[in-house]
Amino acid sequence: MLTRHQDSLSRFLCRKANAESVQIHECRQLSGGAIQENWLLDMTFDSGPYQGRQALVLRADAPSRVGDSHSRAQEFSLLKAAFAAGVTVPEPLWLGEPEVLGRDFFVMRKAEGSAAGYKLVRDATLGGDKEKLVERIGAEMAKLHRIRPPRDDLSFLSLTSRDPTLQTLDTMRTFLDQHHTPFPALEYGLNWLEDHAPPCAQRVLVHRDFRTGNYMVDNKGLTAILDWEFASFAHPMEDLGWFCARCWRFGQSDISKEAGGIGSRAALYRGYEQQSGSRVDDAAVRYFEVFAHMRWAIIAIKQGERHVSGTEPSLELALTAHIVPELELEILRATRTARFTGEEKSHA
Amino acid sequence: MREQPLGPELLAIAGKVLREELLPLLPREKHYQALMLANAMAIAARQLAAGDGPAQAELARLQTLLDVSVDSTLTLHDQLLTQNSLLAQTIRARSSTLNAAQLAEHLWQTTCDKARESAPKALDGL
Repeated sequence: MLTRHQDSLSRFLCRKANAESVQIHECRQLSGGAIQENWLLDMTFDSGPYQGRQALVLRADAPSRVGDSHSRAQEFSLLKAAFAAGVTVPEPLWLGEPEVLGRDFFVMRKAEGSAAGYKLVRDATLGGDKEKLVERIGAEMAKLHRIRPPRDDLSFLSLTSRDPTLQTLDTMRTFLDQHHTPFPALEYGLNWLEDHAPPCAQRVLVHRDFRTGNYMVDNKGLTAILDWEFASFAHPMEDLGWFCARCWRFGQSDISKEAGGIGSRAALYRGYEQQSGSRVDDAAVRYFEVFAHMRWAIIAIKQGERHVSGTEPSLELALTAHIVPELELEILRATRTARFTGEEKSHA
Repeated sequence: MREQPLGPELLAIAGKVLREELLPLLPREKHYQALMLANAMAIAARQLAAGDGPAQAELARLQTLLDVSVDSTLTLHDQLLTQNSLLAQTIRARSSTLNAAQLAEHLWQTTCDKARESAPKALDGL
């Protein structure tokens, strides 16, 4: 894709980097998500503040963008806000212009390491000490959660008077209402989630897809948190819940690996508490683990629908639909055990 | 009579060839796709082997749960669609006409049957 636009891209990069000229040594697509494309740009600027060799990543829209994820421009704003708050993200550099590639994009510095979730949970050498990594992740979440509304730079994030958790449940029900297939198990789960939602005292910027597979590590530790296209103002414990959700543990069933399939829940909580100065609400985290399964189920249905509808025949999307039953199973399992009957685990 | 080996067995042997003979020869970056292929075939095989059994059982449970009768002019698929839509609406409305224990059991059974075909590992240790 990019080779067609090499000239306009070079001109754009020179303009943004205040350089006379740029030599692009390599331009190759990195393995990435179904929603966006990531391209590595290895280049040398001849002059200006970015003079020298630079390893950058260009992130652009892909055809199978899920309707309700952020645009590249919005993601760029989120990255800038997170970067300014000291969260470990790739440094965002330049927002793209439409004529350059014919689609939305932005450019950021390349972060070192790898994000491969399946490898990370199985490889003892990757990511440094795993408990320390999980603790660090907790701290990163706490830093992120310091970003609170109102924010002019994040005005595209919706702020309604409705509790954000309940708002999300409303959106899910609206989606199911217009979908061609009913999901009674999810309706059951939505009722439970409505009944047990911990009130959101203070909305904060929540990543909403912070899980193993979406952060990069090298042999020493965390290098970058990626994929900000679902970030919202919502309940802070959502991020911890998503990170600890069973569906995102990459098959690790041991209790010592509840956090992201790589470390302990205690380490995550510790990192968060030390950075934020406030206690983690464990009951809320467990609620948001169920919530996570519901959110992922709805996303999986939407992604599967792209194939089912004939819009985008894809083996990967087709198989994503088949993830839904195990998510439903976990929702049913988690909501039927005694300790989740609100009364016991209430917000004491 | 249909020619043997039947669908599930064909898919099983095809999957074996894919995993054991072709996968090792593919470039690293194509392994994920090959595994997805194998998974898709395995799901199809399990669905074929299960046949209509789970759907019939689901419909029978729905009739009891919702206290409605079969509309035999509809296909099995359409009957399930109609009944499940009604069930979804009834749950959403938190209708007291539903027996809570029966509902929980029905949902659990139905979901286990689906998982058995789509992702049997999810049933391990339950």
